[in-house]
Formats: sequence, structure tokens, C-alpha cells
Amino acid sequence: MTEFDFSTLIGLVEHYSPSGSEEAAASWLVKHMSSLGFEASLDEVGNALGVMGTGNKQVILLGHIDTVPGEIPVQVENEILFGRGSVDAKGPLACFVDAVAQVGVLDGWQFVVIGAVDEERDSLGARFVVDQYKPDFAIIGEPNNWDRIALGYKGSAWANITLIGDQTHTASGEQTAAEAVIEMWSAIKSFAEEFNSDKKRAFDKILPTLRGLDSGEDGFEQWARIKLGVRLPVEISPEEWYLKLEKILMTSNTFQNKMEKVGFAMLAWQSEKNSKLVRAFLNGIRHEGGTPRFVYKTGTADFNVVAPVWKCPAIVYGPGDSALDHTPNEHLALEEYKKAVSVLVGMFNNLTNS
Amino acid sequence: MASVSCNECAADIILADGTEVNEIIVCPECGVDLEVISLNPAKLEMAPMEEEDWGE
Repeated sequence: MTEFDFSTLIGLVEHYSPSGSEEAAASWLVKHMSSLGFEASLDEVGNALGVMGTGNKQVILLGHIDTVPGEIPVQVENEILFGRGSVDAKGPLACFVDAVAQVGVLDGWQFVVIGAVDEERDSLGARFVVDQYKPDFAIIGEPNNWDRIALGYKGSAWANITLIGDQTHTASGEQTAAEAVIEMWSAIKSFAEEFNSDKKRAFDKILPTLRGLDSGEDGFEQWARIKLGVRLPVEISPEEWYLKLEKILMTSNTFQNKMEKVGFAMLAWQSEKNSKLVRAFLNGIRHEGGTPRFVYKTGTADFNVVAPVWKCPAIVYGPGDSALDHTPNEHLALEEYKKAVSVLVGMFNNLTNS
Repeated sequence: MASVSCNECAADIILADGTEVNEIIVCPECGVDLEVISLNPAKLEMAPMEEEDWGE
């Protein structure tokens, strides 16, 4: 029996690549994919691309090559790989490369592996590729265990709300900007609680968080600001959420208010579980002796960027325990990695033959 | 058309023409999700469990 080659996984993890510093890892991956038979290159924003085949039916395998900062010494101990990105998400990306290399060129099909940059910040890489392709199937790489398929990721939207008004005397009994902004936060929470009252899954709920609170005065004016985050269900788009916030803001006429949208909002997305792609994955997992599971995530991923635009069957897959994401203890069992590669190879065989 | 029993409530389920292996179907009696594991012979398993977690 041939010994499994972990050089894609270990080589990728050895090239430390926090967001903004992916160049060396991406260049290494391009060279490595070329050696495995891919047509490989870097695109304009620094994503590593590996293309296998020229067929009309296209499968995109979108992983990310960046990690959060914090280098962890790369070592294999008791068949477990330690290192930054081993789980999030070089493990999933490497197993895309190894599985496509094993499958090779298939008549009528084209596989495109993308190691996207900047997922841990603003998803620059995914935002660039989203307009470059219109695939028939999309697989996004994130750790969800080898026997689980993620079908949905919640949306998110961030905003700062500031209230400004004339300074009042503390003995006047008039509401302060700080008091008004706390009332506003209570109104936001009440709206979410009412919306959530008949929802069982966290995936279907509005989950607002108060991420910061600040206030001040200069003798003439007083102000108060809250920093808000929210995890959104499929039912509420970021635009609808911002409109709701504006409505809540309009309930205060004592203070001038300003809502500032922060960062990139993400639309929640849920994929159909009866697609040909999901069936091929279920087949692949069962073939490896697993009992497949579905998962819905309360976080976000590049899935949120591409799936709503591509509107093709899309899922998120990859080995590893996502509870280790961004932790100093990031590690991946090599056995699980091998299983995930086998699942993908089985899945490709099923998808391309059915 | 093959006939098979629901794993949850034992109701008879007729698999429609064109049913595929690994397709998720719903028991018309108890509403549980089931996965078609094979067609010849027709066999069902409980559909994958649906979980939630917070990972990015």
C-alpha cells in the first residue's frame, strides 16, 4: 500500500501566511499544484489558482490561504499536525488540491481550486473571484469535520450609532444621550427577541451584540455611541436590518442621530439539501464508513460572498474541528485529513458519473 | 416503483420513479427526513442529523 503523501498539507501550513502576507504561501502553492498536474497561476489579487481539465461543467473549490495572525511552530506529533492554519483553513484547501490531483482530468469537467487571500479580513480574494466564474457546483473550504457538510452560514452586519444633543444640566432631569442610547439598545434587543420568539434554531434568529459603548461631553454638546454587531438569518438581509435600525433611531427626537455602516455586510445563505452535490457528498461520506451530518453555522465564511451570486449547488466542507479556529492550539489529525481526501475523491466520482 | 418502510414510524413509503440514491425524502406519515441508501433493494436510513455551531 502506498504511503499517503502529506506534502500539500504540511507545505502549506509551513508557509505562514496571515492576511495581507499570503504571497509566499500562494506562490509555493502555485508551484506545488503545477507539479501535481494543474494549470496553476496567481490572479490579480494574489489568489492561487489551479485548473484541472477544460470541460464545460465546472466545479469551483474555494479555500482560503490566509490565516489569523499568530505563528504556531509546525510539527507532527502522534500523527497530529500542529500549526497556524492546519484547521482554518489550510487543511480544507490542501485536501481540495490532493483530491483533484487524484481524480485528474475528466472528460467534460473542469475543476478549479482557488486559494483565496484575505478571508480573515474583508474576503478580498473571494470578492474578486465571485465575478470571474459562474460554476455549476461550488465547494467552499472550512473545517467542519470529515463527516459533516455545512449547508448554511448566517449573515452579519456591523454599525455604529451615535446620538448627539445639547448639553443639559444634570439637575434638569432631562434624558442624557447616554441614557437614550441604552434605551435604543434595549429597543433593538426587544425587536430581536420578538422576532426570535417562535424560532428554535440559532440559525433562524436575529442575534445582536453590543460590541462597544462610549459617551462624552464638551460643555456645549453631549454624545453617546454604541457599536453594534448582528448575526442575521436568511429571512433578513443586511439592508433590511439597517432599515430596521433607522426606524428604531427615528423613535428618538431629542437627539440628532447618525448610523454608520461598518465593514462589509454579509447575506445569510442556506443551500438546498437535496442537490446532486449534497447527494454525492453523502455517498462519499457513507462510502468511507461515516454517518453524514449536516451543520448550519452562526458564523460567516467566503460561502456568504459567492453562494448568493453563483446560485448553484454549494456547500462547505473540510476536515478539522472549527472549535480550534483562531486558537493557539490549532491542530489537525492526519487520519482525518486522509478521510476527507477520500470523501472528496468518492464525491467527485459520484458527481461526474451520475 | 419500490415500496419501503419508514425507519421512524414503519409507514409504507412508495419511492417515486426517478428517486436517486442519497436523495432525502420525507415520510408522508410522520414527516421525518429519510435518506435513500439503495434502490435495489430499496433501503432507507434516517437522514443526516442537523446540527448548529458557531465556527467561521
